Parts: sequence; C-alpha cells; structure tokens
Amino acid sequence: MNETLILPLAFLIPLICALGILIMGQEERAAKSLAGIGFGTPFLISLYTFLKFEPGDDGYDYLMEPVNTGLQQFGIHFQMGLNGVSLPLFCLAGIVGLAAGITAIRSNAERLPLYLFLLLLMHGGLMGIFASVDIFFFYFFHELALIPTFIMIGIWGSAERQIAAIEMTIYLTLGALVSLLGIIALYLAGGEEASLSMIKMASHLAENPISPDSQKTIFGLLLFGLGILVSLFPTHSWAPRGYGSAPTSNAMLHAGVLKKFGIYGLIQIAAPMLPSGAESWSTSLVWLALGNVVLIGFVVLAQRDLKQMIGFGSVMHMGYCFLGLATLSVIGVGGAVMLMVAHGMSIALLFLLAKYVQNRTGTLEMPEMGGLATKAPVLAAFFVVATMASIGLPGFANFLGEFSIFNALWKHSGWLVALAASGILISAIYGLRAVSNIFFGEPSAKLAKHWENEAPRDLDLWDRIPALLLICFMLIIGMRPMTISENINKHVKDLSYKDIAPDKPEVSTGMPTKTNLHKGH
Amino acid sequence: MFDASMPTILLTPLISAVIIALLLRRQGNLAAGVSVAAAGIICVLSLKLIFGEEGLNTSYKWLELGALQINLGFLWDANTATMLFVVAFVGFWIHVFSLGYMHNDEGKARYFGGLSIFMFSMLGIVFADNLFMIFIFWELVGFSSYMLIAHYHKTDEASRACRKAFIVNRVGDLGFVLGILLTFWSLGTANISELQAIATQHPDKITNTIGLLLMCGFIGKSAQFPLHVWLPDAMAGPTPVSALIHAATMVAAGIYFLIRIQFLITTDVLTLIVWLGAAMALYAGICALTQRDIKKILAYSTLSQLGYMSAAFGLGYTGIALFHLTTHAFFKALMFLGSGSVIYGCHHEQDIFKMGGLYKRMPVTAFTFGIGVLAISGVPFLSGFFSKDAILIAANLKSTPIFLVLMAAAVLTAFYMGRLYWITFLGKSNSEHAEHAKETPVVMWLPLVVLATLSIIGGYQNFPYIKELFHAFHGSLEKLHHEEGHDAAHNLLLVLGTVAWVVGLGGSYIFYKAGSSMDNLERQQPKLFGILRKALFFDPLYNFYVAKIQNKVADIIDVIDKLIIQGVLVRGSAGILYVTGLFTRMLHGGNLQYYSFWVAIGVLILGAFALGWIG
Repeated sequence: MNETLILPLAFLIPLICALGILIMGQEERAAKSLAGIGFGTPFLISLYTFLKFEPGDDGYDYLMEPVNTGLQQFGIHFQMGLNGVSLPLFCLAGIVGLAAGITAIRSNAERLPLYLFLLLLMHGGLMGIFASVDIFFFYFFHELALIPTFIMIGIWGSAERQIAAIEMTIYLTLGALVSLLGIIALYLAGGEEASLSMIKMASHLAENPISPDSQKTIFGLLLFGLGILVSLFPTHSWAPRGYGSAPTSNAMLHAGVLKKFGIYGLIQIAAPMLPSGAESWSTSLVWLALGNVVLIGFVVLAQRDLKQMIGFGSVMHMGYCFLGLATLSVIGVGGAVMLMVAHGMSIALLFLLAKYVQNRTGTLEMPEMGGLATKAPVLAAFFVVATMASIGLPGFANFLGEFSIFNALWKHSGWLVALAASGILISAIYGLRAVSNIFFGEPSAKLAKHWENEAPRDLDLWDRIPALLLICFMLIIGMRPMTISENINKHVKDLSYKDIAPDKPEVSTGMPTKTNLHKGH
Repeated sequence: MFDASMPTILLTPLISAVIIALLLRRQGNLAAGVSVAAAGIICVLSLKLIFGEEGLNTSYKWLELGALQINLGFLWDANTATMLFVVAFVGFWIHVFSLGYMHNDEGKARYFGGLSIFMFSMLGIVFADNLFMIFIFWELVGFSSYMLIAHYHKTDEASRACRKAFIVNRVGDLGFVLGILLTFWSLGTANISELQAIATQHPDKITNTIGLLLMCGFIGKSAQFPLHVWLPDAMAGPTPVSALIHAATMVAAGIYFLIRIQFLITTDVLTLIVWLGAAMALYAGICALTQRDIKKILAYSTLSQLGYMSAAFGLGYTGIALFHLTTHAFFKALMFLGSGSVIYGCHHEQDIFKMGGLYKRMPVTAFTFGIGVLAISGVPFLSGFFSKDAILIAANLKSTPIFLVLMAAAVLTAFYMGRLYWITFLGKSNSEHAEHAKETPVVMWLPLVVLATLSIIGGYQNFPYIKELFHAFHGSLEKLHHEEGHDAAHNLLLVLGTVAWVVGLGGSYIFYKAGSSMDNLERQQPKLFGILRKALFFDPLYNFYVAKIQNKVADIIDVIDKLIIQGVLVRGSAGILYVTGLFTRMLHGGNLQYYSFWVAIGVLILGAFALGWIG
C-alpha cells in the first residue's frame, strides 16, 4: 500500500462511517458499530503514523503528491502530509477522538444515530485539519468540524443551550470569516507565484517577502480571526458557556482538539510566513494573553459550577499557548505545541470526568457536593490526576509546556514571567478547591438526600476506558517528553523561529567540575 | 542482583508505586508488602553506596527545546551521601512502622502507594544535579505530601489541610521558579557543578535577587516564616507521614537545597536567613507551649529546629546545618513515631492532657521517646547535643543577638518537650483510653529502638559508619574549631547549654507536674496564656486574606467579565438580540432531515463562498 494514502484514510473513514449511519437511519446497533470503526481506525492510524514517522529533508513524512482539485488556478491542491508539529496534534485528534467516541457510543443520547453521525463528521474534520498541507483544506476541515458543534449544542445541550449555541455560532463564525479573509489576503499578497500549499508558500515567501505593512495587516487578521477561535482575551466568553452546555463528547473534542486549530494555524502558517507582521503584533499579543492568564484566572476562582470552572480554566491555559507564540522563539513555540497537546488531553479528561461527577451528584454546583471519594474512589483518583495535570504538576506535559514558555518569555522580561507564573498559583487554588469540594469531606445535606434515593456507583469498565486512554498518553508524554519534543524542536527550528539562548559567562577550563556528563565536550 | 546506582535507587519506588496503582488497589496487605520491600531495596542499595562504592555521576537528556535542555542528572558528593542516608534509612524504618500503624486502615493500598511516590520524589531531590530537576521533584514531593495529608479525606480537617499545604508551597514555588529562570538566563546553566564554577570565577554575577528568589522555595518547603502556616495543619495526615515527610525528610529538603546551591546565596541573603531562622526557632517554640495536641507540639518543635538549621546555614556553617538536619531527622522521626505509638495505644487520642502514666503501659515507647526528648533538649552525649552545641557556638562567635535568641529558644525547647513528656508518660492516667493502653506490636516498637539508637550515637564522629556521614560535616566543624575564640565559646556553652536543658526540663516538671490533666499555665496565668495563644495570629490573617481579598477580587473580576465583556460587548446590541431570536426559532423546530440538510447547506455555502470569493 502506498503509505501516503494513510492520511486521507484517517479522515475518510469517519466520514464514510457517518454516511453509513445516515443511510442506516434509526438502526442504533449498526450506528454504534459504525461509530466504533469511525473512531477506532483514525486512532490506530495516528499511532501508526507516529511510530513510523521519519521526516525527510523538508521535515515532512507521508507527504502525498498534490492532487488537482480543479481549482489549481487559485493555488489550491489537495495534499496531505505530517511534520513534527502537526504529527503530535494529529495524534491528539486520534486519541481524544477515540475517547470521545467511546463516550458518545455509551451516552444513551436521544436519537443516538444522529448524534454519532454528527460527531463522526466532526471527527473527520479534525483528522483532516492537522494532516492538511494545503491551507484551503486546512480551513475547510475546520469548518467541517465546527458546524456539527453548533447543531449538537442546539439539540443535546443543557439548560442554557440556546444562548450558548448562538453566542458560540456568532463568535466562531466571525472568527472563521476573519481568518478566511486573512488567508485570502495572504494568498493575494503573495503575488503571481503564490500558492496555498504551506510548503510552497513558505519557500516562496522566504524569497519574496510581503511588505512589512501588508504583513502587519494580514497577520492582524489572522491573529484575531484565529484568536477568537481559541478564546483569546477578550473574545473568550463563548468558550466556557459553550462547553458548559455542550454534550460531553462534543465538549471533549471541541476543547481538546478543535480549539487548537487557531494556535496551530498561527504557529504553522501565519508567524513563519509573516515574520515581521508577527513581530509587530508580538507585544500586544503578550498583553492579551496575560489577560487570559491573570484576569480569567481570577474569573475561574469565582466559579462555583464545575463545567464553567473547567471551561474558564481552559481559556486561561490557552493564554500560555499565546504567550509561547508571542515570544516567536523555538523554546516558546515548542512549549506552546507541547502545551497544546498536553492540554488537549487533560481538558478532554476533565470534561469527561465532570460528566461522571454530574451523573453521580445530580448537580454541577461544587459547594453542593462532597464526600464522593468514599463512594467512587476510582473516579476520585482520576479526577485528582486530571487536576494535577491541568495545574501543571511535573510528570505531565502541561508542566513542560508552561515551563518552556516561562523560559522563553524570560528573555523579554522577568516581570512578565512573574505575572504569567502567578497562574500556577491560581490554578492550584481552584483545582484543589474543586477536588476538596467534590470528593473530600462529608456530602452536603442535599447530596446525602439525593444518595438515599440513588446510591452512587464507582466507574464501571467502560467508563474507565476512555479516561485511562487519556491518562495513559498524558503520562507517556509527561514522563518521556522526548517522545514528541524531539520532532517538535526540529520542526519549529525549520519554521525559522528565533533561537534564543542565555549568555554563559566564560569559565576557565582549569576549573575541575565534578560531573562527567554523557554528552560530547 | 541489583545494580547499586543512583538511577536504580530512584526508579525502585516509582516501580512500586506503579505496581500498587495498577494492580494492588484493593490488596492493602500486598501493596504494603511491595512498598516496604521497595523501601528495603532502596535502603540496602543506598547503604552500599554510602559505605561502599560511591555513586557515579550520570546525566540523561530529558527534554530539549532550542537552548533549553532539561537533564535528569545524578550528582554524588558527601552531602548526597548524608541526605541519602537520612531518606533511605529513616524512611525504611518509617515504612516498617506504618505496617503496624496502618494495619486496619481502609485506604492501606493508597497510603503505601503514596509513600512510594514520596520516596521517589524525595530521592529525586537528593540526587538532582541541576535546578530544573530539583524543581520537578520539588513539586512532586509537594504532591505526595498533599496526597498523604489527604489520607483521611472524610474529615474536613484533612480536606482543608492538604489544600493549604499544597497551595502555600506553591506560593514559595512561584518565587522558586522565577529564581531558577533568573539563574538559568543570567548564568547560562542550571547544572549545579557548572554553577559552582561560574560562581567561583564570576562572583559579581551572583546577585541578591537570585538568592532571594531561590530562598522562596526553601521557605515554602521548610515551612519558614511567613509560609510556615501549612505545617501544623499537615498533622491531619497519618502520623508516620508526619514523621517521614513533615519532620525528617521533606521539610528538611529546603535546607538540603540551600546547601546544594550555597554559592548562589549572597552575604545579604545569608543575614536574612539567619534572622528568619533564629526568629522561627523562638517563635515556633512559643507556639508549641500552648498546644495540647501531641502532634502539633511536635510540629511546632520541627519548625523551631528547622529555624536552627537555617540559622546555622546563614551563619556560614552549611555542614553544621546538615549535621543538625541529620540528628534532628533521627530524634524527631523517633518522637513522631513515638507519638504515633501513643496515639495507636490510646485509640486515637491526641490530647496530652488525656493521657498520663503511659510509662507503665508502654515502656518501650516511653523509654525511646525519653531519649528523643533528651536529645532535642541538648543533653550531653546524645546526638542533639553535638549538633545544637555547634550551632550555638557558631552563633556566639558571630552575633550576640542571634545567640541570645537561639539560647532562649533552647531553654524553651527543653521546657515544652519536658511538658509534653511529663504530662504524657508520667503520673497517672487521665482517661479511659490511657488507662487501657497497651504497648504496640514489634513492627512498631522496633523502629523506635533503631531510631533511639541513632539518636544516641548520631553525634559521634568516630563511631563506625556514623563517621562516613561526617564527611559532609567535617569542613564546617573544622572551620568552627579554628575560629578565633572557639575554645572560650565552647566552655561557655558547656555551662549555658547545661543550664538550658536543666532549667527547661526541670522547670517544666515543677510547673506542670507529672501526668497533669490540666494546663497549669492556662489555669494560673490565663492572661499570659492568652497572649501566647495570640502568637498563632497568622492563621486568621491568612483566612482573612482568602475570604476578604482573594475571593472578593475574584468575584469582582467575574462580575466585570460577565457584565462588560459578555453582556455589553456580546449581547448588548439590539442587532445581535434579533439574530438571537432568529436562530432560536431555527434551532427549535427540527428533525433529523432538517439538521442534516442544515449541515450540508452550511458546508456547501461556506465552500462555495470561499471558492466564489477567490474565483
């Protein structure tokens, strides 16, 4: 088999399964099996691509020949391939997709076939985004994943769903349109030879850079367009509400994977192709991102509703990704990619566990909970793991991402790092408060009554599988970061981000040092 | 069979924790076995390294992004050896003690898994050859402490205490991480040996800020002023945990860290550390005086002894700080386990005024605990005498005010420890539980005997094996010995030191009476007692901050976010409200075909729109 066909398969299989469900109509069992295939195969493909990844000189592997789409006069070809930055995100989509898929199949949602159809559609889009080399398809797949989200919240969402669905639709459509404008402007500014292929366009622009003024405008469009999609302050308000009312598997995929589209686009496309544009927005971006970290950090502290807390927490952590990007350095951008992957898994896990908690307590109001650890120790253990990951405990990659970003930002200003690092304190406060409120102590009077009628059970095997899947990969990357960081480091350097390094004072060689490091001197 | 190298030692407890977490969650006894076995292997391999072959420095690349490289490296020197002994040997015996103490506990597997994670994290700090790695394990130690304090999670006390411990530590870690970044970006490396070379050759590059920020980590972990508030609350955890983590090893990690990076601490910062330490030694002693809970008394006493260690460090005698750290680990672990034994024997009674007369019923515990009390009070020929004496001599030579403060703290130490001992063990029983107390099983009293032995011999530098630990102390002890006026100070201390413990132990016996059931100080001097209780004013202060400032600010910003950003910007305008109504109607009346159609249309429109636009 031609290895390059494996990437199109990753998005085609979910789409074909989705189609199958549509044809089958109301057949619930068939829909479940098809969904199993539709979520399982991309996961296996993503693992395969990861294990066999051997990038060529251009930094890509599995790169297919561009296929004519009939639109080549606009520089649009269908082409897929993976590089060091897109690979971990592609795998993230595969992993979170499977976890969300299992959750969805077992969700007993009303009109389950329709639900699975939409989620598969979304997943097809997600697998496509990160495998796309062509910017047009990169964008197209995002839309493909986004639209089912709106519908799913509209139909299966919780109480506030109408407002949430509308707010989200307005914001995300606006963001998508502005980014589209940015992409078109980028293409037009590229001149005659312009292409929408990331590879061609990058080398073309490296030789024929766009004028600084245009760069500034175009990068601005992309920054704010894509920024809205990642809840960049102050356009964040759609996110917590949207996630709060979204059905669980949808929130997992959206917060875990789809949201990464924006930063991924900025890192892979916008900043490398518009270096001076990125430079001129860098300072403003730092301040907006600090808004995410510090201001939203305080907002998280005020949340009493578990899902709102997780949602705002995710907005806060996206601020770190933006900070990393704003440094435009290998360390910062590399850290941002690490954090995106790590955050994708931990946030998906948190949304999943929040659902489990809600099922057992009948509420999302944290002050009305308590004592769940005694009733559901496994759930408690998982929740502590997820919390620790998301508040940046070493051993999870979230820490490495944040730590690298702090390092990169230090080159700009230690004071900024002090501000940004206050986030590690804020997250510890709200994270541990949630654990205490939900799991420790005695159950609240209301909850004790609730449990008289319906004794809570611990997680069963199929509840555990998606959670364990996520935890397992979180730990692998956290304990052995080189698993992904080696490729990230290499490709981020290829994207010509700044290589910053500390100035090391001269030390005379006569001084014996006690270590004999295993590295060449 | 096992390769006695630092990486093997480090990985052993991690493997144990993983096995317990994955397989033995419900098999408490097996989990305990695995964890204790792991501690045993660590102990044997460590002793081999300490008394035999020496560790080999190695380093593995763990993460690389641009110029940022994080290594997992192992640095072996005399300090490593001594600290490793404390962690591995004392740690092992605390594991053994736990077998008895946690015998009937529901969450036994979780407890022993937690101990293994703790050993892993703590060993990481002991071995680490660079600041990044220290920070990583620093945080992990904080997590294991959190997990173990939360062991009795059903109680509100534990639920609050575990959170407080983690968060207060993170306050310190915030400064710590900034300090590490500053060090790395101004000196170009995070490797300790390289940093030492740079510090020696470029002393001008070492600024006060570096020292101050790095010191924050120490203040958090070693619970020094003003971040000391978490340690007394941490007593909500199981008692062996208090012995291992909150007395012998983790809280001492702060001092150990300072010793590792001593060349990054400027004279100004050293002065600050001396004063913080001396003040803490006295302040915590005052706090201990009014406590009734046996564990809280020991907790404040730990704070006070940590104050001694940081004073020694600040005075420039790092080896003596480590010396006191070591002897303190012996006698404080002994006393904490002893208190565990008492608590176990008295069916979880912790109020010393409800004990009394235990020497008859728990002779081994009472005897070994007594050795601990004598050692901490500085009675001659016991380990505590030597290390504390060295600190007091150093203070006497360097600064009279510091010396006076530390002397006062020494009297106070003997006084409150005497109070604890006389009331708990002597006289007659003051409660049902104390009356029916029984000596604990052998797994619990054997560790007491071992630690009591160490508390006796731990100060003799010519004793077999003990002398190996002294490699780390020699430099400072020699330096002290050759200070001008050392001999005079030494003689003075022989007198004053004796006065301190005689006055303290004797005074408390006379004042409190053996086996008393009432706090005499509270009864006779309610005003003074009240004033001393006020010394605990920090907790209300922190609670005030959390409730009135932090939470208020959070609520205000939340309201602003809701009102201005979400309200005005998003839903404020009439146009959007109109769209809202429109969309709501669209979304309401739907069926499968309709929505599928909607999806298709949406995708098509967007595709066509994009294509049409470009075309």
